[in-house]
Amino acid sequence: MVHQHFMLVPVFTVAENVVLGFEPTKSFNRLDYKTADAQIHELSEKFGLQVDPRAVVENLPIGLQQRVEILKALSHDAELLILDEPTAVLTPQEIDALMEIMRSLARDGKSILFITHKLKEVRAVADVITIIRQGRVIDSVPPSETENQLAALMVGREVNLTVNKESTELGEPVLEIRDVVVRDDRGLAVVNGVTLDVHAGEIVALAGVQGNGQTELAEAISGLRPIESGTITLRGRDITNHSPRAILDAGLGHVPEDRQRDGLVLSMSVADNLVLNTPRRAPFASRGTRNLKAVSVNATDLVQRFDIRTTGIDATAGSLSGGNQQKVIVARELSRPLTCLLASQPTRGLDVGSIEYVHRQIVNERNQGMGVFIISSELDEVVALGDRIAVMHAGKITGIVDPSTSREDIGLLMAGSTMGAHD
Amino acid sequence: MTDTLTDTATKPSSARRFWSHYSSTSPITLTILALILGFVIGAIIIMVTSPAVLDSWRHTSHHLGDIGSSLKVSFDSVAAAYRAMITGSILDPTLFVHSISTGHGWDTTLTPISETLTYATPLVIASIGVGIAFQTGIFNIGANGQAIIGGIAGTAVGSMIHCPTIIHLPLTLLAGIAGGAVCGLVPGLLKAYTGAHEVIVTLMFNYVCNAFLLYALTETALQAPNQANDLSRNVDSTAILAPIFGTKSGLRVSYGIFVAAAVVVLAIWFLKRSSLGFDFRITGANPNAARASGINPKFVVIAVFLVSGGLAGLAGGVQMMSTTHYIDGGFLIGNAGIGFTAITIALLGRLQPMGIMWGSLLFAALNVGGRAMQAATGIPLDLATIIQSIVVLFVASPVLIKEIYRLRSGAESFQMATKGWSS
Amino acid sequence: MEFVSTTLAALAEADLVLEVRAPVGRRRAIGALTVLLGLFIVVAFGFGSISGAHSQFTFTPVNTSSGAPWSLGALTVLTRWWNVALGLITVAIGAETWWRRPAGALARFGVGGIIFFFTLLLWAGRQPGPDQTSSINLTSVLIGSSAIAMVLIYGSLSGVLCERSGVVNIAIEGQFIGGALAGAMVDSVTNSFWLAALVGILIGGLIGWLLALLAVRYIADQIIIGVVIVTLLGAMSSYLNIQVLAPYPNLNVGNNPSNVAIPLLYKIPILGPVLFNQNMFFYAAIVLVALVSFGLFRTRWGLRVRSVGEHPKAAESVGINVARVRYTTVILGGAVAGLGGVAFIAVQGQFQPGITSGFGYIALAAMIFGKWKPSGAVVASILFGVSAYLVDALQSYSTPIPTELLQMFPYLITIAVVAGLIGRVRAPASDGVPYKRD
Repeated sequence: MVHQHFMLVPVFTVAENVVLGFEPTKSFNRLDYKTADAQIHELSEKFGLQVDPRAVVENLPIGLQQRVEILKALSHDAELLILDEPTAVLTPQEIDALMEIMRSLARDGKSILFITHKLKEVRAVADVITIIRQGRVIDSVPPSETENQLAALMVGREVNLTVNKESTELGEPVLEIRDVVVRDDRGLAVVNGVTLDVHAGEIVALAGVQGNGQTELAEAISGLRPIESGTITLRGRDITNHSPRAILDAGLGHVPEDRQRDGLVLSMSVADNLVLNTPRRAPFASRGTRNLKAVSVNATDLVQRFDIRTTGIDATAGSLSGGNQQKVIVARELSRPLTCLLASQPTRGLDVGSIEYVHRQIVNERNQGMGVFIISSELDEVVALGDRIAVMHAGKITGIVDPSTSREDIGLLMAGSTMGAHD
Repeated sequence: MTDTLTDTATKPSSARRFWSHYSSTSPITLTILALILGFVIGAIIIMVTSPAVLDSWRHTSHHLGDIGSSLKVSFDSVAAAYRAMITGSILDPTLFVHSISTGHGWDTTLTPISETLTYATPLVIASIGVGIAFQTGIFNIGANGQAIIGGIAGTAVGSMIHCPTIIHLPLTLLAGIAGGAVCGLVPGLLKAYTGAHEVIVTLMFNYVCNAFLLYALTETALQAPNQANDLSRNVDSTAILAPIFGTKSGLRVSYGIFVAAAVVVLAIWFLKRSSLGFDFRITGANPNAARASGINPKFVVIAVFLVSGGLAGLAGGVQMMSTTHYIDGGFLIGNAGIGFTAITIALLGRLQPMGIMWGSLLFAALNVGGRAMQAATGIPLDLATIIQSIVVLFVASPVLIKEIYRLRSGAESFQMATKGWSS
Repeated sequence: MEFVSTTLAALAEADLVLEVRAPVGRRRAIGALTVLLGLFIVVAFGFGSISGAHSQFTFTPVNTSSGAPWSLGALTVLTRWWNVALGLITVAIGAETWWRRPAGALARFGVGGIIFFFTLLLWAGRQPGPDQTSSINLTSVLIGSSAIAMVLIYGSLSGVLCERSGVVNIAIEGQFIGGALAGAMVDSVTNSFWLAALVGILIGGLIGWLLALLAVRYIADQIIIGVVIVTLLGAMSSYLNIQVLAPYPNLNVGNNPSNVAIPLLYKIPILGPVLFNQNMFFYAAIVLVALVSFGLFRTRWGLRVRSVGEHPKAAESVGINVARVRYTTVILGGAVAGLGGVAFIAVQGQFQPGITSGFGYIALAAMIFGKWKPSGAVVASILFGVSAYLVDALQSYSTPIPTELLQMFPYLITIAVVAGLIGRVRAPASDGVPYKRD
């Protein structure tokens, strides 16, 4: 198994990582580095995976680290290698090299399970392609299938979500993203020159397979992650690299992707969570003292208005169901004056009723002239909500299309093919 | 040991139901169980180290039965010790009856409770400071040093500035707060701007402050005139917290208890009603959500160290102002130091001001009663500290105490934020 | 994909670690600081003494029961020029550090620190000077420092072992106390320091086991557990001292182990009495340093311990039992500190409460200053040992810097290192983080 997140000890050398748990030893339990080096050289030769056994892993580029991970698996005489999204972190050259390695491993009789969403790559390297959607095997096909056919299988055909939307006037741009570059924790530029506008009165939905930079883009907009270059403005005001507080105050509503991690304090009451990012705003506090009455009036009102099912406003947020937790966040954000709403994966893990409810709220806001920016990996949601659909792949916007665009075409954009419509 | 304890606790099925009924919800029950265990282990220690048993150890070879009979003898010394502890810290019934019937001797009757309150006063203040830091997810191991600096600052202002009580008293208290806050500011700034782990910094700072105390008492004008030892000047009578019942009564309990009571009330208000306290609690419960809702983590780290250090400093000031009215080289160092005791009390009180107040009274009673025990039975005062430590070991490991009592798991009542050195 | 959640997890961990500066710049800073230290020595201790003043060294150890070294006459030096020369050497070391930015920058600073204390001693003992001291016995200074350095080495090695496996051991002081008490009693009864050492090891290991039990199995907070264990052992030892040791003085006789002179080598002046005419605990400490260093960095066992401290998940994914590794290593670490506790008895004789006087925490600081490495811990232990001894010795002199302030030195320097103000140390990545299997 080659994990997407490497199981490597960063401060160890390549050799130490590869032999860990199966160390060759000399007398007195001493590590036999010579044998370890020889083992690695042998494996390197055999599979064409060149790497210096004495190099310290944390100093190696990601591509080489992955190679070490593969070497580690091979050194345990693995017959089946599982590669989980191995190309997500690699440069095009490194991807080509990996493809070559996979082919040579297969020639040597190893089986490889290659998990990816990039259609080009599967078609280039696989012997059999199995498509999984929503936890179910959809089909197994030969690689001779065209990208379009694969994309169709990948995204599916049924549209089970319908949202009634009136057409509205497109207003001024409220959120302008210009050439934004953002790095992730490993220093990779996972958002690499994104330019996008969200206008008042429209919903822009950002589609894409998870892990293509959407998370980091959302964090950059909300001020949680530094922007390396480019600018973001909110109704003409520059908010690039401003503090989260300043951005919230400038009128950005934020429904974070992971509600339990970033959106709520589970051990606190529903009432407190409903004022989590406005605790100092009138009427909830004045001169440093919280007005608990106003907080509870606000909570009672919002619980009723947003139909939050709870045993009371003093119940902890952790005692609520996922759908109701999300309603708490949506209620909190929509109850304060906003210019633009940024919602990441707004319906992840919710039941159908809650999904419908959240969608209705979002469309409502848009109808009243707010700009809404949705980030979702659910294609159905994107198509149902978006007035325009932007597709993100490998840190770039690969296309901005109309919701009437065929799902195969969107799927192709998600998988990294460009339709020639936009780049 | 584990098995014998559990057997007695679990044999009757009704008792078992009783335990499990309580265990699933109440952290107070766990604390009481920990207390019982602490006293049981304390009793075992008294028994095996009592002179009777020790003597029979030496003669085991001649009379094997001796240990059994001397254990019986030492059982009486346990009873005597614990009885002395209670009468020495709270009330001696015979003295009480005597005072009631004759109307005299109230001073002697009330001395134990007066001593307990006196001892508890600085503990309450310092422990609340530590507890607030814990609630914010910050380990302040440096309360001892902060209290020392607070004591130094208080002594300096109390002894070198001369003005009427109405100004002098609050000024001296403020000096204590300021001294502790400045001392807390350093680890706060270092953590906020360099990421230095606060545990190491505050731990080291305790020793720095200790050395500074000796320096201040021998090399500066703080040293009492014509004095070769490490002894400070006396503070003016305008800067002391006087005994409530006057100096003639012999009851030491001072107006300091009102300062402690005010701190309890303020802390309850601060945590429940103030905006800053709300920020602290959010940060402690979920630092990610805190950041996402616009709370500046650097600001919170610095602020919490100011508050926590300020309270520890106040504790040092109050200790000096209400008991000795001067400080010496051993200031606050006895009994493992007030800082470490404060950590254990904060845990015992589950970080809540009221809980901490009861915890402080309990620990003070143990210490004051321990002194009475030492006087009456010769069993060293250190037994009180041993019992305290054991209680806190159990309180800090709720899983362990549940296992000992075979309680149902489920009460995930108490979780401290656990972090590594490097974060 | 788990990508997003793990990204966020990483973000959360990065949350409060802010603005980490480049390591190269820090080594420069260490170099600059060392240069400043050297200049201070030149100005304050060199030109700060009048030109004719001299300091006198003697080299004959006071206690020569196991045989005296080849004798060496007293040496009288000109205080000003010796201190200027030593200061310039420090400046040179600093300049080299500034220029080359070597990996051993902190160790070089440590050498500068030792020179600082040495020159301070020269300055304080100068004649004519403020104090009527005849001479400085260099050998005694070194022997005294080596005794403190020895116990610090035991403590910091214990810390290195525990923390390399990912468990913070703040309880070193407690293990010291336990080892010292048990060692004193066993030695008094059996008159054998070998048995005392054995029991000290067992007691230290037992306290290590308690720490591991609560930290690994019951996932209690390691810092709190450590603090409370120290409090518990402190109270326990004081209690037993009054209740058991006082009425039975034959349980606390206060033997000192005899020194073992290594033939010929012990006759070398200065070095001989310091390094080759010591008690068994001193030699054992040196052997332990080599053993721990070898064990951690050369053996399979060490590789596994370090992998558990750095990335327990990766270790577990290749079949290493994280909990068991942590248990054994923490027990071992406790045993080492327990032996260190007996070493206190070997130096001091009788047990008395407070005998360890916070050295467990200085050992912790030495471990951090030594970057979690046995070799670094030795350098730091020597530096802190010399400084602690001299601070004590200098109390009889009138020094330009009050000795109380000099006492802060080990702690301030450790804070500076932890804060990255000078140098930066990196703890094992999972140090102090309980491991829960998914």
